[in-house]
Amino acid sequence: MLATAKESRIAPATPGEPALLQVEKVGKQYGAHVVLEGVDLSMQTGEVVAIIGPSGSGKSTLLRCINQLEPPTRGRVTLAGTVIDAARPASNADLTALRRNVGMVFQSFNLFPHLTVLRNISLAQERVMKRDRKQADEVSMQLLTRVGLADKASQYPSRCSGGQQQRIAIARALALEPKLMLFDEPTSALDPELGLEVHAVMRELAEGGMTMLVVTHEMHFAESVSDRVIIMADGKIVEEGPSRELMKSPQSERGKRFLQALKDR
Amino acid sequence: MTEILLSILAGVPWTIALTAASLLIGTVAGAILCAMRLSGSALPRLASAGIILTFRSIPPIVWLFFIFFGIGTNLLPLSPFASGAIGLGLITAANMAEIFRGAFAAIHPGQWEAARTLNLGRVSQMLDVIGPQVVRVALPSIATYAIGLLKDSAVASTIGVTETAFQAYHVSQRTFHGLDVYAIAGLLYILLSLPIAALSRRLDLHLRAKVAR
Repeated sequence: MLATAKESRIAPATPGEPALLQVEKVGKQYGAHVVLEGVDLSMQTGEVVAIIGPSGSGKSTLLRCINQLEPPTRGRVTLAGTVIDAARPASNADLTALRRNVGMVFQSFNLFPHLTVLRNISLAQERVMKRDRKQADEVSMQLLTRVGLADKASQYPSRCSGGQQQRIAIARALALEPKLMLFDEPTSALDPELGLEVHAVMRELAEGGMTMLVVTHEMHFAESVSDRVIIMADGKIVEEGPSRELMKSPQSERGKRFLQALKDR
Repeated sequence: MTEILLSILAGVPWTIALTAASLLIGTVAGAILCAMRLSGSALPRLASAGIILTFRSIPPIVWLFFIFFGIGTNLLPLSPFASGAIGLGLITAANMAEIFRGAFAAIHPGQWEAARTLNLGRVSQMLDVIGPQVVRVALPSIATYAIGLLKDSAVASTIGVTETAFQAYHVSQRTFHGLDVYAIAGLLYILLSLPIAALSRRLDLHLRAKVAR
């Protein structure tokens, strides 16, 4: 079943269960410049959704509106029961509650360069989850082992390759046990081989049942790992549907053009 | 000759003490001024900008006279050393605030975003993530400023702080030696600057890799 943006409302995986993430009519405007316009999106627990689309289409802004790094100028974001409505200013308690449940991985990794790899992962566990140092370090080591980098624990990020840094960044986000993981072009700054090792970690996460919203330019990844693909253009969702079908035969004119361009690249 | 050298050397501890005290006052007050300057509300921002402009625009010697002969004589008694440390400390604060502000601007915005995304509180964002990197960026500029301050502390001789330049002046008056006395004083200033410069270079090389710009 394919759907274009107008008629689409993906049926919940298990009817009756409330969505983990509900984005309603979210818009973002800088002065007169509209970056996002009336975006609706709903995700069930365990779902993996890929967002693709040309540069400047608002993909990253949508992610950043979800965790309120950019407060939306319109609409409402509900995540695991926490509601943030652009109509009234969000309290610090609301922001904390929201961010407690969402992890984010950036294109430029954003590891803390003055801390060792282990401290990068342990810091927020101690400050936010109030784990003591020993507990935090144990969890960090488990996560580092999981992303295949236990031997880097005592190194500084600058001594790690880009792919390794991104895997560390994923471990850092996972340490806070988020319900939703946002990935903002996690492999765009990496050469293809290093991108693969990051994808392998993400694939494993997806198979483990993590709910993931991934902005990406990697068609193969979108098609093979995500359950659903969203195509964005000009600040709107132009099309969404099950990954395989949508990637094979997009319905919207804008979607067709974009996917063709990706294939021709 | 030994006597000349010893007399001038007597001023060196005061030069070091005055420089250190001014740096300490300047760093603490500079951090506060910088925080005000980066504040979200207009009032502290404007106040800080005004204070920085005032401290930087008035010549050090005028400040020292104002504090020592003005405040020190009429309002509350201040020793020459205290007047010198306060005066130079406030000028240092204004410069430090600008150094810190530049260092903040040099930190990659992604560092703030990562800290916020990890739900770190404001204090933790500052102390654990941003602060240590700001210090790393600022250190070379602070060291350069410290060397400048070490030399400029000679101005405090005008209000009677018995530091190196003060001693040199009095020795030269007493002994009628000009050339060698001031050559020795100059040499002492060079010797004092060298460790700061060396330390700064070492720290810079060591810390440079650990900042996200």
